[in-house]
Amino acid sequence: MRRVRTAALLAAGAALVAAAGVAPAAAAPACEAPGFTPRSRVESAGVVVVYRTAPAAIEVGRHFQVEALVCAAGGAATLTGVDADMPAHRHGMNYRATVATKAPGRYVAEGLLFHMPGRWRLLFDVEHAGRRARLASDVVVD
Amino acid sequence: MVAVTLALTAAVAAPSSAPEPALTRLLQHGPWPPAPARDPSNAVSGTPAAIALGQRLFFDPRLSANGAVACATCHVPARGWSDGRARAVGLAEGDRNTPTVLDVALHRWFSWDGRADSLWSQSLKPIVDPREMGASGAHVATLLRRDHALACLHEQAFGAAPPADPDRALVHTGKAIAAFLETVRSGRTPFDDFRDALARGDAAAAARYPAAARRGARLFVQSDCAVCHVGPAFTNGEFHDVGVPYALPGGGVDPGRARGITQVRADRFNLLGSWSDDASRASAVKTRHVEASHASFGQFRTPSLRNLALTAPYMHDGRYATLREAVRHYSELDMERIHTHGEQLLRPLKLSAAEVDDLVAFLESVTDRSAARMPASPPDVPGCPG
Repeated sequence: MRRVRTAALLAAGAALVAAAGVAPAAAAPACEAPGFTPRSRVESAGVVVVYRTAPAAIEVGRHFQVEALVCAAGGAATLTGVDADMPAHRHGMNYRATVATKAPGRYVAEGLLFHMPGRWRLLFDVEHAGRRARLASDVVVD
Repeated sequence: MVAVTLALTAAVAAPSSAPEPALTRLLQHGPWPPAPARDPSNAVSGTPAAIALGQRLFFDPRLSANGAVACATCHVPARGWSDGRARAVGLAEGDRNTPTVLDVALHRWFSWDGRADSLWSQSLKPIVDPREMGASGAHVATLLRRDHALACLHEQAFGAAPPADPDRALVHTGKAIAAFLETVRSGRTPFDDFRDALARGDAAAAARYPAAARRGARLFVQSDCAVCHVGPAFTNGEFHDVGVPYALPGGGVDPGRARGITQVRADRFNLLGSWSDDASRASAVKTRHVEASHASFGQFRTPSLRNLALTAPYMHDGRYATLREAVRHYSELDMERIHTHGEQLLRPLKLSAAEVDDLVAFLESVTDRSAARMPASPPDVPGCPG
């Protein structure tokens, strides 16, 4: 399978896809953990997700993991799910990722696979202060 | 997509001496062949004794209940390791076309519906399928234990005499056949020479690629065929509904991937089970995470486009006798038939007759015609009868 390009999205391309009563925007917290070097960051309304994938370069047709750190202004946030879709094709993955907690605020999602080249969105479902939000991060594989 | 469209427009408008951006997108379909890889779920993968045992078993009709049907009855080397029929015929006629086993080791899922998650678990299924070989684990165990040559090869491959346990005998048979099938690989094609010439910028070598195939290659890129037929094997290994009817001739429907997911999850020989030799279970990630959806109904595995010229007829039910008919299917897609579930992927290509010819020329150029041959006899295994 081909090597692919993963869009580096530090502070760029981030979007809040849908939110159910997300709190008003607050200052985005720094989101760091010892020994964790993220490649991408997505934030909205005071919630920040920084993440990296393993392998670092996502390949079409090869499973990969997402390791994520989730932070929120004024309290803890929980990553409840990771999914992905291809907006141009209007479909998602053929696999459902599972999320495991490695440490408070730090998660590993397994079982993701992009089965086509093109623009995908990684979707992070986060709960914070009793509210839910979905944050999206663009990833291009070609 | 905008960037892609612009690139293609530039390619069409470019003078003939200029680089062709559209054709550079063909580089993803190589290099070929890929390096062989061992299957971690099969401890005898790649071992000479297992390959020899698997080759013998593959061609041995005694594996079947009536002693008349071998794996090679449907997977005929001279027919591109398929059978030339619309639907497979073992002990009875099946519902689907026999897929080639050329390069089968590269698959993620096996069979048209992905009912198996490993080559070895797929290899044992036809043996016990009532419509294919109709045998049983007990039948296989008896054969392995009574035939001196098979028993010897089994002992060399697995380090023990053939088991009496029916499940273990069946799994060992599947793993040996899989070890053999991993060696059934196609070689280089005219397309691969063209692709490699493009990669190294060798215009003189690239010019030897026939003009019709070159035009077809450009059409292949422009039509976004590589969204699904991706990479060196020209497949993403997943499942799609491309508008082929799924009503069965005798009544009922073929649910395709929807049933395949159910079956692979329930399969006691799947990669999550105790028969896998992958202690880490890392190879089972796909099985743990595969998800069915409404869209799974009527989906079938994206076939490789390699060696198509050897493996007519086409589609999961073998409805098209020629490559030209198969290409026309995509030219005239029935969008009313396809259950898109909102997906925007396929559209009728609306090809002219000349464009159909060019696409066929391209597809024929991705065929290794030398792959349609009997494999060499396996090397002798020391201590076992030849």
